[in-house]
Amino acid sequence: MSRSEQGGSLAGHGFAPQTSRRIPARLVWAADTARLEDAQGTLLVQGPVQKTEQLPGGPLLVHLKDGWHFEAEPGENELKSLGGLHRPGLLARMEEWHPRLILFSLFCLLSAFVIWRWGLGLLVAIGLAVTPETAVRGIDSANIEIIDRTLAEDTGLSQQAQQKVQAIFDDLRKAAPPAPWGEYHLLFRDMPEVGPNAFALPGGSIIITDQLVERFEDPDIIAAVLGHEIAHVSERHALAQLYRAGSTYLLITLVAGDPGPLLQDLLREGNVLLSLSYSRQHETEADRLGVRIANKAGYDGAALAGFFELLAAESEGTGPGWLSTHPAAGDRIMQIRAYSTEAE
Amino acid sequence: MSQPQTHRVEFIGNAKTYFGIWIVNILLSIVTLGIYSAWAKVRTRRYFAQNTLIDKRRFDYHATGGQILIGRIIVVLGLAVLAIPLVNIVAAIALFFALPWLLNRSIAFNARMTSFSGVRFGFKGSYGRSFLVFILYPILAALTLFTTYPFSARATHRYIIGQHRFGTANFGFDSPIGPFYKAFLFAVGWSALVLVVGFFALGGTQLLYTLAMSQQPGGQPDPAFIWSIVLFYVVLLVAILPAGFIYQAYLRNAVYAQATLEGGYRFHSSLSPVKLMWIALSNAVVVACTLGLMLPWAKIRMARYLADHTQVHAAGSLDEFVGQESEKVSALGDAYTDIEGIDLGVAI
Repeated sequence: MSRSEQGGSLAGHGFAPQTSRRIPARLVWAADTARLEDAQGTLLVQGPVQKTEQLPGGPLLVHLKDGWHFEAEPGENELKSLGGLHRPGLLARMEEWHPRLILFSLFCLLSAFVIWRWGLGLLVAIGLAVTPETAVRGIDSANIEIIDRTLAEDTGLSQQAQQKVQAIFDDLRKAAPPAPWGEYHLLFRDMPEVGPNAFALPGGSIIITDQLVERFEDPDIIAAVLGHEIAHVSERHALAQLYRAGSTYLLITLVAGDPGPLLQDLLREGNVLLSLSYSRQHETEADRLGVRIANKAGYDGAALAGFFELLAAESEGTGPGWLSTHPAAGDRIMQIRAYSTEAE
Repeated sequence: MSQPQTHRVEFIGNAKTYFGIWIVNILLSIVTLGIYSAWAKVRTRRYFAQNTLIDKRRFDYHATGGQILIGRIIVVLGLAVLAIPLVNIVAAIALFFALPWLLNRSIAFNARMTSFSGVRFGFKGSYGRSFLVFILYPILAALTLFTTYPFSARATHRYIIGQHRFGTANFGFDSPIGPFYKAFLFAVGWSALVLVVGFFALGGTQLLYTLAMSQQPGGQPDPAFIWSIVLFYVVLLVAILPAGFIYQAYLRNAVYAQATLEGGYRFHSSLSPVKLMWIALSNAVVVACTLGLMLPWAKIRMARYLADHTQVHAAGSLDEFVGQESEKVSALGDAYTDIEGIDLGVAI
């Protein structure tokens, strides 16, 4: 005779559909039908057992006909005699307090480390691989639109000055690895509030400010700065940062769940700090590759160091400036010089 | 007819059992690349609900993992659309106007999926009131430099509690503004006091002067100065962190005191801000020191503290509530508030 044909009975409480009345009751079952009786032995409901469920630490719930349900807290001994009524599922058995939970914990800790160390990189790489060119072009045009509306005016540079910079840019473009989405192209903008600077957008648009061109005559410096920006594009830094931040956030909120009031903030702030260190890593990478591109195109890539030194010297007179927020600037200048020699 | 009774809320969960559920949740979420996390959420919610008792009757949570998963997929896809340039401007505007609706859906879903003693809760949202309490009033409060924030908080509680029902019995909430200002002013007052005392104790003006003078690139600051900056951050932490708990504790006590349930039921909460903060702080330290492995213990400890300090005053028996059929609800709003980490700021 199979276990499922065994019968038994269990004391607990019955609930009629749509009422909160908690009726002391006894469930009597045999084969696959069950009777629910109240304390006086009066029949409450009779019929097939529709579903049973029990979460570890929770009550045994037996769903009966017409929306009735029965709730019991079987003790250790009663559990063994539940027979055909309910058997714990695989999940409930996995969750039991057992030495294997130590293994599970180790596996989770190890996975957390692996995901943080390599998994995120993989997710980012997959994201980058499936990103369509049109989307990235869209990012470029939307950002240019925003910059034009808020910060930038049409360039005031002469045709001649523009041609000179464009020629440098064309040299660099030939020396650089191909752009991952679209083509490298240069835009001139007058941005008085931003000052001497250049930006790269992921689709290959590189914006150089009039202030930079006017301030620095030296073609080597222009080439070094543009080389650095081209490197950001070819290495897909902007999107990589976006994807990394996004996937970290999703993993933390969905897999780790709600970590409680203080830790939640701690994890979020920690995530921001980590992404800052990640962006510094990108800067270093762009310095290194930028120097190489400029050198290959026939310019002196180490001029990037000169650019930073000049900025530093200028900010000295005018109080706290760009460099005060970048304490490692001194190291950076030294490293750039080192890259230049190693490239040759 | 039964006598009026006071029931203490009991939480009978324990860290050992919850640890098993929690670690298997994470394990399976990792192995299934996050898909299981929807079922994990259900199991966690169920564990906490089933182990919360009033008068020996249990709460329960009835959402299914499939529902939660579908909601999450839609929300993640929606957020991806928000990241597409140009489309995102339209989508962001649409989201702004959809927000009150999404929040209503989230609250309704959670109410509908929760039961007590076999009867489900319910929530009847209104787009207009949701827009007022979640968007307009907070903006107005910000415009008055948050001096009117307690009014906004009271309106939120009036709406959320007042639109809830248990079976066919309606919840109600109304309160004078006093207790809301008390919670708010105690919290803000604590921050202000610590900041002022700390600033002068550390010689703040001198510190600011040194800070301003030390902004020369390449200059090596004095180590003593670095220490005083660190101390200053400690003061900042001591000023801001406890304020949150002071507010939460007083707010919860005030809200429970004024909430009612049709049929003569009232509630009572007696949290102590100091105790609440101690539990949260020591929980965080223990969890961080054990690489997260003590998180189940910490959550159980917090749940037990909250339950132990909550009571229900019942005019009669808890046997008399009647359930009500209501329309189906999807997990879309719930998934949205989960993923965005939205906290409705309601004392629960």
